[in-house]
Amino acid sequence: MEQILANGVYLGAQYAMIALGLTLIFALMNVLNFAHGQMYVIGGFVTYTFYGQWGVPFILALVMSCVTLAILGALIERFLFAPVIKGSAREESTMLLAAGIAFFLDAVILLVFGEKQRGVPKIMDGVFNYDFRLIMPYDRILICVLAIVSIVSFIGLMQYTKTGRALRALAQDRTAAQLMGVNVDRYSMIGFALGAMLAGLVGGLLVTITGVNLGMGGATSIKAFMMVMIGGAGVISGAIWGGIILGFMEAIGLALLYQYGDITYLLIFISLMIFLAIRPQGLMGKPWG
Amino acid sequence: MQRRTIMKAALTAMTLTALQATTAIAENTILKIGFVGVTSGPAASWGISNQRSMEARAAWINETGGYTIGGTTYDIEIVSFDDQKDPKRAIAGMEKMAQEGIHYVVGPNVDDGAAAVRPVAETNGIMYFPYAFPKSLYEAPASNAVLGMVANYQSGPAIYKYMMAEKGVKTVAFIAANESDPLSQRDGGVEAATALGMEVVSANVTYQVDTTDFTPVLTPIMRTRPDLLVLSGVSPANAPQLIRSARELGFEGVISTETAQDAGVLAEGAGDLANGFVSVGGASTPELASPMMIEFVKRYTDMFGEYNDESNTKVYALEYILETLKADPSGITDVDAFKATMDTFEAPNPYMNGDAKLRYVGMSSFGQKRQVAVPLVVNVYQDGAFETLFVAEVD
Amino acid sequence: MLKFSLKQFVGVGVFLVIIFIGVPLIIGATGRWDIYYTLTSVALLAIASAGVWLTFYIGRINIGQGAFALIGAYVSAILVVKAGWSFWISLPAAGLFAAVVAILIGLPILRLRGVYFAMITLVLTQVVTLTALALPITNGARGISNIPLPSGISVFGMSILPDFAAMENTKLAFYYTACIIMILTYAALYRLVNSRLGHLCRSMQQNEELASSIGVNISYIRIVIFAISSFFGGLGGAMFGSIAQSVYPSSFQVADSVNFMLNCFLGGLGYVFGPMLGTLVLYFGWDLLFEFGKYQMLIYSTVLIIIIRFLPNGLLSIRFNKGGDK
Repeated sequence: MEQILANGVYLGAQYAMIALGLTLIFALMNVLNFAHGQMYVIGGFVTYTFYGQWGVPFILALVMSCVTLAILGALIERFLFAPVIKGSAREESTMLLAAGIAFFLDAVILLVFGEKQRGVPKIMDGVFNYDFRLIMPYDRILICVLAIVSIVSFIGLMQYTKTGRALRALAQDRTAAQLMGVNVDRYSMIGFALGAMLAGLVGGLLVTITGVNLGMGGATSIKAFMMVMIGGAGVISGAIWGGIILGFMEAIGLALLYQYGDITYLLIFISLMIFLAIRPQGLMGKPWG
Repeated sequence: MQRRTIMKAALTAMTLTALQATTAIAENTILKIGFVGVTSGPAASWGISNQRSMEARAAWINETGGYTIGGTTYDIEIVSFDDQKDPKRAIAGMEKMAQEGIHYVVGPNVDDGAAAVRPVAETNGIMYFPYAFPKSLYEAPASNAVLGMVANYQSGPAIYKYMMAEKGVKTVAFIAANESDPLSQRDGGVEAATALGMEVVSANVTYQVDTTDFTPVLTPIMRTRPDLLVLSGVSPANAPQLIRSARELGFEGVISTETAQDAGVLAEGAGDLANGFVSVGGASTPELASPMMIEFVKRYTDMFGEYNDESNTKVYALEYILETLKADPSGITDVDAFKATMDTFEAPNPYMNGDAKLRYVGMSSFGQKRQVAVPLVVNVYQDGAFETLFVAEVD
Repeated sequence: MLKFSLKQFVGVGVFLVIIFIGVPLIIGATGRWDIYYTLTSVALLAIASAGVWLTFYIGRINIGQGAFALIGAYVSAILVVKAGWSFWISLPAAGLFAAVVAILIGLPILRLRGVYFAMITLVLTQVVTLTALALPITNGARGISNIPLPSGISVFGMSILPDFAAMENTKLAFYYTACIIMILTYAALYRLVNSRLGHLCRSMQQNEELASSIGVNISYIRIVIFAISSFFGGLGGAMFGSIAQSVYPSSFQVADSVNFMLNCFLGGLGYVFGPMLGTLVLYFGWDLLFEFGKYQMLIYSTVLIIIIRFLPNGLLSIRFNKGGDK
């Protein structure tokens, strides 16, 4: 039982971080960013290059991941998403753009970083073992703590800074925010950069545990979509709850249903569908279309 | 990484100029050999290691003057098609090969692709060498597919037998990704282990291909305390993580798999925790590698910047095609002649020390000779490199 | 309601002549026989994409068509291999089965909108793949292989449909079959969009509450449209199974569902023939870039991004008015 809880917390924290960036971008611009997973992978590879290849301190490598992705995000928003959103009759058209960017980043990752699975030296050795009832390697505990710290500081940023307030205003009502004197274009870009940065940060953090390979992108995006849905699209707290719930669902599901083998995930997915059918706007989302 | 990119760019430029130079000098006829497989997306490493070993070997042949078959000297050209691991695309790839007039194709890399291209290959007279294990591909009435490696239902029993005899293994647990190829391999493994009298303590735990954290997946298996943990059909990306999670959960038994792995990936992803991990490889361990294998590895590394140990098992298909064509030159246009030659063909194995032979096998598994005889080299990982555990033969 | 202008008639006529006479002539002249399969694929994927387009028409983003294509492929394969049906009967049966599944699933999930509907359909694709892996009737992970080619049908000794297994070259036969089904699909789609139902759909796309308040039975229309959409998916999937002569759980997966959706976006959501053009460009484009080797994906995605950057409403928004739009 302790093990299941610990696994749930660990999975939940990392999932919540992945979902946060996605939901932020969605809240601001109504863009379902298919390339979110690829951004996560790039974050992982940047940290791998700096920390794993060149021996730069881990924290510095993490910062590099954040910076790279923030710049990438800003550029993508400024030169691709913003003009397309302005020009398209139906805003869902941005999905095609997002998918195109996902393909593009996949191709770039393959050409630059190669096809192999990559990993970095462990940032911390040793395993916490409480009587074989609770086993957790120290590096996982550290990453989990770092993830929680990042989430808390992100919430702090959104709540108490000028940028955060502007972003929240933008998410609530674009037109009203504009009328109140918020520079919408500028803050859209900042918001997108922030969302991409979160993806890069979590990629950099997790590369120490799971490593990174070019195939993780698409799968990560899909998982992030599910968490966002569970919690309610475009709601920050919803993303965090969605991540935690999916983390626990997996931890508990795998622990209880493992003897059903092949259908464990089938059951997880079906329960997800039932949940959404009952609660179409997710846990905390607005009943909106 | 920057350094590697620059190096790659420089190498590409170099090979390009080298290629131009050779085409300028060489007046040889071109012999096209195809490759249809996955070289992008999550499974890219399977196809890329495959494609690159073919390209490295072809470049080598061309550089040294070409390959002589029946009095004509050919330059080898590799035509590759990325099927994105999609069976629908794989068919398109095979059509493309037919269009190019190619009769010998390596790939596809997975079960569904290999099954899907069969109609095209058979109507167009293409022999193809898939890396997929379903027996129906190789048993009559199918006749155009040749298994390009050792199947898990052949290597599995050999490994388990060895484990029982040498390590006193009695109980075994299987874990597989929830996907066609790994699940089929797991079922084959369970069957083999049961037949050998091992006790299968857990066989129904699966994980999603996109799993990033294997601790919750492995926890229930660890409770059954098996002596041997088999990672059925594990992809090179997942292997180090599974090993790491299992070891961190306190697993002390042996971990093995029946697919080829890369030592560098294991070293980065699991470090010392991967010590003792048993996998299937080709002939590149120091004890077995012939001078030709060593040169192949060197050329591959020069050409692409980094070697991939998965290529050890994938160097053979092209060699088999060329050697068999040499044995009967009419095979170049006539696939039926090639098939007839397969029954009697035999040539020395250039990649392995000793008197190993290249020949076609498969009578006991498929009832016809539709498999290349690759030495079944079982490796064990130790401190960043593979060591040979034992070598066996497939019949 | 259905008044065709002369221009439209000519457009459709030209289109038919091109695909039934022009393409075979060109292929015969150039010897590029591999194009047949590519175009057959385009036709079949365009059928499934037409279904996705139809769900867009009622304002739903559908990323679940891969699920219905897979269902169709399996139903047809099982009926042919295990029950010994003729492929030609199993084909509509596959479509109908997919439609029935769509009705059952659609009842609860069609209440969802926007990204929620998009995501739940995405999950649906995975659910169907996993179900195919787990069920005994689908042969689980081993898939169904060695499916016989479509057999002929004759009535009173008159051969209506030829026996594919007896043919020298099945490529052309599959090409014609796929094109005929595609044309029927798009004709049906065009008819539907220009019918009363089509008008109701458009009103739903604008505003469901408003449509409902003026007496439109929106839940009924949603189900009907979703069922028709899935019927198309099932048809396309079943045809693919018979060309590959095998079906695996991975025959249609999430990537396919996403591609079906992208086809619609690329062609243009406002145009009936958008998905057909989108499929042609996306699928054929990949094939054309084959020469570029490892840069294929890079070039492909760059072109895609450029297209959507400058034509955010789809290719047809440059008023390429062939065959008539809505």
